[in-house]
Amino acid sequence: MLVFSIDQIALPYSMDLCFAGAACELRTNYSQLARMLENLSISKDYAVPSGFSMRVYVEEASDAVAGEPHFRGLHHVVTASFGSSNLFVFDILRRTVSARVSAAIGRDERFWKEKLIPITLGVLGSAMGLVPVHCACLELDGEGLLIAGVSGAGKSTLSVALSEIGFNYVSDDWTYMSRRGNGIMAHGTSAPVKLLPDAVEHFQSLQGRSLQRSMNGELAYEVDIVEAFGAQVERVCEPRWLIFLERTQRAEAIFTATSHGKARTYVNSSIERLPSQLYEATAMREQTIEAVALLPSWHFQYGGTPQFAANELWKFVVHRRQEIYA
Amino acid sequence: MTTEPCWHPDLLRRFVPTPYVFSTCDGLNQFFVESNDLEIALSARRSGILHRQCSQERGLFCRLIRDMAAPVDASEMTIVSNGSLRVLCLGQGTILIYDRERLELLGFISRNVRVQELISSLIPTLLRG
Repeated sequence: MLVFSIDQIALPYSMDLCFAGAACELRTNYSQLARMLENLSISKDYAVPSGFSMRVYVEEASDAVAGEPHFRGLHHVVTASFGSSNLFVFDILRRTVSARVSAAIGRDERFWKEKLIPITLGVLGSAMGLVPVHCACLELDGEGLLIAGVSGAGKSTLSVALSEIGFNYVSDDWTYMSRRGNGIMAHGTSAPVKLLPDAVEHFQSLQGRSLQRSMNGELAYEVDIVEAFGAQVERVCEPRWLIFLERTQRAEAIFTATSHGKARTYVNSSIERLPSQLYEATAMREQTIEAVALLPSWHFQYGGTPQFAANELWKFVVHRRQEIYA
Repeated sequence: MTTEPCWHPDLLRRFVPTPYVFSTCDGLNQFFVESNDLEIALSARRSGILHRQCSQERGLFCRLIRDMAAPVDASEMTIVSNGSLRVLCLGQGTILIYDRERLELLGFISRNVRVQELISSLIPTLLRG
């Protein structure tokens, strides 16, 4: 039997970090992990008021790689294990993460970037006023464009195409929403952009790169958008518009205004139902969802290349801004 | 007008129905057991160690789920504790959580763990800390 009292073990490396608007007080016994997470951390300028604490004990003698993930939750506690050597315990009410992991996990940047940080934000986000929404986010002159759609609708390719014509990139798949005064803020993480194999037909800079097996088993290009496309990255913006993508066969671009109810249903469909013990988190989350649902939203049916669709969206945003500022 | 949200599937199995419910009161101390498995619920209700814990801590709420979908894997036991939260894992499939401050014992029990082992070994080990 192995016993780890995380609050009694010496965890000498301590730092204040921030991931997608969530301040994180990290303590660990493993300097490599501390350095790696520091590199993934962003500015705390727009962090939500409530952060979380993360205590990670790394067993330096263990080199067990991440096994099959297994998640369970009851009341305010969620557990995530990746094989029997890597266990994470999330306490939503107290906003804490306690973990015991192997050294292999302690230095696996991809694991933290693509799995653990998004999982942590997804699980604890509701207690901090951060709501994960399955959408991409681009920014232009401080104003954010949220692009929602089912997997395969083209969020990532469109995000890259928009970043090539002057939009700043915030996120391509999951965006974390928080309330700020009467408005909302959209936060991105440092996760790589994931593009399906056919994206190479539209983006020359993918040529010569190899496809990787992503965490969900899909074969895809996983690239750093700055390194691969020279994109400008913003970590936070104030969203103004919400677009629902739908691909069609013809090269066309049709915008149709949609109801707030559609936006509300969409956001709700991508989040976990919370147990009654978390009523405060539920109430806070509902306020944020309502703020997202009240954004002006459009259904965007498009065909043709991502570059064609990006140009149509560019014209759409310019037109909307002219209407607002006229 | 608001409509009932269309929720994401219950991947964490938080909302597994627990029709077997027992509740007793010893003075001001309430002992509450709920489970989706009758044998677990009955054994927990009769458990001396759970009643003692309830008396010492002034109440205990137990929610124990027989988890037929959980992996049945190696039997290495790990306990991770932080503050008032203590979590016992047996392999990946069996997870027991005790929150000393909230007086809650929660758990998922994989199909290879017998009720006898749960009541006489795993729960006592978890509570001993």
